[in-house]
Amino acid sequence: MTNHILHIDDEAPIRELLAQFLTSNGYRVTSVDSATEAFKTVKRDAPDLVISDLQLEDSDGLEMIERLNAMLPAVPVILLTGVLFDAQVARDTLGKKVSCYLEKTTSLGKILEEVKRLLKP
Amino acid sequence: MKDNTIRRVLAFFLLISAVLVAVAFVAVRNINRSAASSDWVNHTHAVILEAEALLSGLNAGDGAMRTTVMTGDARDQAACREALGSIAEHLEVTKALTRNETAQSQQVHDLESLVNRRIDFIRQVLAARQSGGQEATRPLLATDAGGETMREIQRAVEKLKDDEMTLLAERDTASFAQAQTTRWTVWLGVALDVLLLGGVAWLLRDDIAARRRVAATLHDANVLLEARVQERTAELAAANSRLSTENLERQWANQALEHQLRYNQLIVNSINDLVFVLTKAMNVSRVNPAVVRLTGFEPADLVSQPLSRFVRLAPGNGETEEPMLDPIQQALKEGRDLRDRPAVMEDKRGRKTAVRFTLFPLRDGDKVVGGVATLQLAPSSPASPR
Repeated sequence: MTNHILHIDDEAPIRELLAQFLTSNGYRVTSVDSATEAFKTVKRDAPDLVISDLQLEDSDGLEMIERLNAMLPAVPVILLTGVLFDAQVARDTLGKKVSCYLEKTTSLGKILEEVKRLLKP
Repeated sequence: MKDNTIRRVLAFFLLISAVLVAVAFVAVRNINRSAASSDWVNHTHAVILEAEALLSGLNAGDGAMRTTVMTGDARDQAACREALGSIAEHLEVTKALTRNETAQSQQVHDLESLVNRRIDFIRQVLAARQSGGQEATRPLLATDAGGETMREIQRAVEKLKDDEMTLLAERDTASFAQAQTTRWTVWLGVALDVLLLGGVAWLLRDDIAARRRVAATLHDANVLLEARVQERTAELAAANSRLSTENLERQWANQALEHQLRYNQLIVNSINDLVFVLTKAMNVSRVNPAVVRLTGFEPADLVSQPLSRFVRLAPGNGETEEPMLDPIQQALKEGRDLRDRPAVMEDKRGRKTAVRFTLFPLRDGDKVVGGVATLQLAPSSPASPR
């Protein structure tokens, strides 16, 4: 059974690239561009992992992640954003809300490592 | 290899066929000779039998003649004539049998003279007995005292029989030799054919072994080729996967950099302070929208112009208005920050505005390649945000 990953980002090229990469590595990926679509997807097909941007058109990413945590408390969340936090600040402020914080300049290989780590049974 | 083998096998079979034909030819010829020898054996025995019958008939006639002389009985005379009649018959048969043999024919001819002479004598005796009685035969019989003629005939018949037996022995020897020749010919032919068939079998076995070796070599080559193809395919697939991943990584990096650049651009453009990016020679290389808005200059008017044309630091305590060395240039040269220094900015219309000046050197590694100057409007200045 392949793991299902939900990816939320308002930039289409980012969604397409990450979906292509994760699919080629054996994951089933659902890509959406808004929080509204993300909630619909969660209700229809609960993911095993969520990867989300911070700034979305229809919502704040952190607020959306809080709601997703409430809906799926066991599902890990990766915050993948171009908004640069200081590493310590990110750990202090986001550590309780997300499983992992990655900058968008992080390589795909590193992202894959984190995905594997978080989905390890 | 295939054509050579077929040619060799065909050559072997042709040779075998030739041997078989030769053996058959020799065997048939020898069988014919054996049959001829058998005919000669029968012929010899026939000659001997006829000669013996001739002698027997003559003895019977001679005996009957002597009986007739003593008895004068007509029945004895008839028996004598009957015996003489059979002699002529046997003599003709013997002559016919020896017609093609010169020596035997001559012997039979001599025997015939002797037999005819004896028959004539017997007839003379019988005629004398019939005409003059027993006394009339006495002078005739006296001439035959001792039976010399009969002994001559017996010797002639024995000689004929001996010669025929000699011929028979020679023909038996020849017949045996022919039979032996036939046996040797057949056995030699069989042996030769067996050898040739063995040669064909060896040739076929050798060819099959060679074909098996070739097939095994081909199979090994195919297995090796298949393994190499699979190995190469796996390498190509891995290389393709690696290239795809690298390509995705590059696209991802470009996208992330573009996103980050756009994001940073938005941050810089959203700052309300005036931001000047400077070259190492203190010329303006870039400004934010606040500079355009607050000075009235267009970006084209500002770029490549010296910063000193728009901004000057206010003189400090005890300093003259025109210092010998521009302190901003000096700080940039030394790679030092200048923070929150009072300065004066001149806009496009020549109006002067008091600002707070801050300079950060731009470093590329350990080298200063330029600087960033920010001007914050003093709270009392007319252009400061309210």
